Amino acid sequence: MILRIMAACAFLLIVVLALFTSASHATRADFVYVNPSGIHTLDPARMSWTQDFRVALNIWEGLTTSHPETSAPMEGAAYFPPAVSEDGLTVTFSIREDAKWSNGDRVTAYDFIRGWRRAMEPGTAADYLFFFTDFIDGAHEYVRWRSENIKALAALRRLAEGVGLEPDAAKALVRHPAFEEITIPLTSRLEVPNERADEGWAAFGKTLATLPMDWSSLADRCLTQHARDMDLHFSDVGVQAVDEATLHVRLTKPCPFFFDLTAFPTLLPCHKSVERLRRRHLGLPLTAEGLVVYDPQWTKPDYTKEGYPGLITNGAYRVVDWRFKRRLRLAVNPFHRDADSIACRTVDMVVYENVSASIMAYEAGDVDFLPAMDVPYDHELARLARTGERPDFHLCQTLATFFLNFNCESETVGDRVNPFTDARVRRAFTLATDRTTLVDKVLGRGDRIARSFVPPDAIGGYEPPSGLAYDPDEARRLLAQAGYTSGSFPVVEILYVPSDAVLCQALARMWERELGVRVELRAMESKTFAEAKARQQFMVARGNWYADYYDPTTFLDCLIGDNGNNDSRYRSARYDELMAQASSAKDPIRRASLLQAAERVIVEEDCPILPILHYAQPIAIQPWVKGLYPNAQLRFPFQYVTVKR
Amino acid sequence: MIRTVTRRLLLGLITVACVYALTFIMVVTIPGNPLRQSGRNLSPEAEQALRVRYNMDNNWLYFRQFITGAIRGDFGPSFSYAEWTCGQIIASALPVSVLLGFLAILLAVAIGVPLGVLGAASRGGPLDLAATTIVLLGISVPTFVTGSALLVVVGVYLKLAPIGGWGDLAHLPLPALTLSLPFMAYIARLTRAGMLDVLGSDFLRTALAKGVTRRTAIWTHALRVAFLPVLSYLGPATAQAMTGSFVVEKVFGVPGMGQHFVNAALNLDAGLILSCVLVYAAILVAFNLIVDVLYAWLDPRITGAV
Repeated sequence: MILRIMAACAFLLIVVLALFTSASHATRADFVYVNPSGIHTLDPARMSWTQDFRVALNIWEGLTTSHPETSAPMEGAAYFPPAVSEDGLTVTFSIREDAKWSNGDRVTAYDFIRGWRRAMEPGTAADYLFFFTDFIDGAHEYVRWRSENIKALAALRRLAEGVGLEPDAAKALVRHPAFEEITIPLTSRLEVPNERADEGWAAFGKTLATLPMDWSSLADRCLTQHARDMDLHFSDVGVQAVDEATLHVRLTKPCPFFFDLTAFPTLLPCHKSVERLRRRHLGLPLTAEGLVVYDPQWTKPDYTKEGYPGLITNGAYRVVDWRFKRRLRLAVNPFHRDADSIACRTVDMVVYENVSASIMAYEAGDVDFLPAMDVPYDHELARLARTGERPDFHLCQTLATFFLNFNCESETVGDRVNPFTDARVRRAFTLATDRTTLVDKVLGRGDRIARSFVPPDAIGGYEPPSGLAYDPDEARRLLAQAGYTSGSFPVVEILYVPSDAVLCQALARMWERELGVRVELRAMESKTFAEAKARQQFMVARGNWYADYYDPTTFLDCLIGDNGNNDSRYRSARYDELMAQASSAKDPIRRASLLQAAERVIVEEDCPILPILHYAQPIAIQPWVKGLYPNAQLRFPFQYVTVKR
Repeated sequence: MIRTVTRRLLLGLITVACVYALTFIMVVTIPGNPLRQSGRNLSPEAEQALRVRYNMDNNWLYFRQFITGAIRGDFGPSFSYAEWTCGQIIASALPVSVLLGFLAILLAVAIGVPLGVLGAASRGGPLDLAATTIVLLGISVPTFVTGSALLVVVGVYLKLAPIGGWGDLAHLPLPALTLSLPFMAYIARLTRAGMLDVLGSDFLRTALAKGVTRRTAIWTHALRVAFLPVLSYLGPATAQAMTGSFVVEKVFGVPGMGQHFVNAALNLDAGLILSCVLVYAAILVAFNLIVDVLYAWLDPRITGAV
């Protein structure tokens, strides 16, 4: 009997294994690299991770591209440099005749508008929406207008389902022209609450749902009208196609780094075939709530619903095969102008969730390139790279800063007094931080010490201020000046994520030793941490920032009063004013000195953040691989790579 | 029999429904903003649009939408992997885990049962000591240790197996062996205990007295009874093995289900959490049912109890 069961199992096993081995076996690609966590998205409008950017910039080509060695902007799908008006606000790109999509179509100005519009339309827009709202003329107004309409449309759909409205939704509906079509019967005694007041809106939103109205047809009418108005409103946005080959861009302010942005994934073009996958309601290219939504599977090479031909891209490579969390295979785009000269005809991105295993696979020669080696023994890898014992290991000095946020706004955190609203206290804690010990002795990963927010020697034409050096005596003096005597200082709490544990523990001991304060450490899982940080439930919280383009403002903008990434809620009229002056300055030297003055305010005077280090990232390139260069943004174009085993 | 199976199926459905409801409550109450997938803060406009798109302000609507979709086999989109539906993610991961889990359980039974029998048959002897030692190691050494050790010894030094990955026959043995160890140990312990009980029983003494060889008595008569506790353990064990182990998958780079249980929770990926839990619950219920039916078949005395 048991033998019979065993025999049945053995038979099943043989069948399963036979099926398993008969599954197609791909041959090794010319070039294989590891991505530890797989791809989050291939949709350029949604992307915000370095590893996704890396793939995007290999399969798409922006108006400009980055030089593989220096990262300076250079020619992409458009001729470089484009024509720039005298005031620096209008840029005219001429798109090359030989810029081709992977199906042979010509890349046009309309393709760029499509791609850019996807990245700014509510529904498809994500983290990098600010590229448009900050820098492209009219984009902010357009997005605001769209957003208001969507709120109102969503509110109407809610009412159609018989659900009451949240106060915000009710307010949006009252602001919308559609509200005039709503007849409120006198008998209902419903009154629109005061716009500025908060009370009354919840009840108002609930009562609205009880009105005898045909909400659904009202919503449909509004949607139709909104769809009609959309293109008219979009024509005010500073992105216009003069003809197929000419793209006019109007900027909100002089933007010396604009050609870095046009090389960035968010500003990539999008092939017209994607329109087939746009979700429609009532025949309009919008969802019922007025959102722009595409079938998210459009980035799959083998997705063929509704006559969609599968992903079409315009970069040096195209995607041939994408297996979830296993592998992504790229092959040369046969229509790319450099297709014949590209040595690596196929590239595999393989996923190793276990970074140590990927290092073992690299040592065995299975893998040609490791763009990340995030392991507990990374200090040892950094040492091997620094001493030259392993010439194939490199340290990329990235354009990224690890820092601590001081909560500059909340008077209390939990039931404790937050002492960090006082700039003197923040300065004192900055002065009491011995970064050399933290970075070189405690971590020892080869990171650079940070005394400024912007990394030094990284951005041409800008040198950050020198920042505050370690001076515990001055720190104690400042604390005394702020009115704290020994032992009277409130308990300090550092909020961090587990990956920073060692650093934060060392820092806590350092502050306790130098300032005689008590420091408590609170570790949180990263999503919970992000939530606590967003709600200002911290005194000191870890933070990091990765530059998006080669300009100091990619860092310094974060601390402007109303910036969405201003986690310390630092507000300084002087800083904002200096940043505003810099933003309108046309002379690059004056601009740089204004930015430097602004940065001095944050790293030497007000200290809303405490910069600690600029990350160094160890990478490994097999000796037989040529044409890959360690760089600050960890972008690696594979079209220049040669592999000679 | 058919009536009892139907009743059990209905009970199973209720179990799955309860699991769904409880998980849903947990998913909507855990703190954190699932729309924040990177370290950057979303602009209010983009965030509001995404909340509308995913019905995030209306939990009850989402609760209904998800379950009606799931019944039709459509688990909806994943938050953290926009281009993949939860259905696609599970379709890519589940076969991997099922194959690996199946192999692991097979190995566990094929080695664990004889180990237990041999141990019990030579109680107190050196064979028993060896078997007990293996069992103790299997239960107490965590898989991340055995897995890493196997990877380093077999993969790196002996170069007999590839270092992680999936898609080739050579990728199978190490993770399957690692995954099977704790199950194997437990099965061996259950078998040994069961055998020790049976070996002293009257029917076996009768069988021996009637001239049945010791070998037949142990392997045919005794094992059939001693195997029953193993069988009831095999239900949940198979379900557990087949729905993936985060640790084994992580160590060997196996693209199975285990990683999604953990990552979906860390990413606050509501759809994927619910899908994974539903699939796991369904498999668990199904295997318990199968085992109970097998049980009744092996031991006619308990048919009525199923």
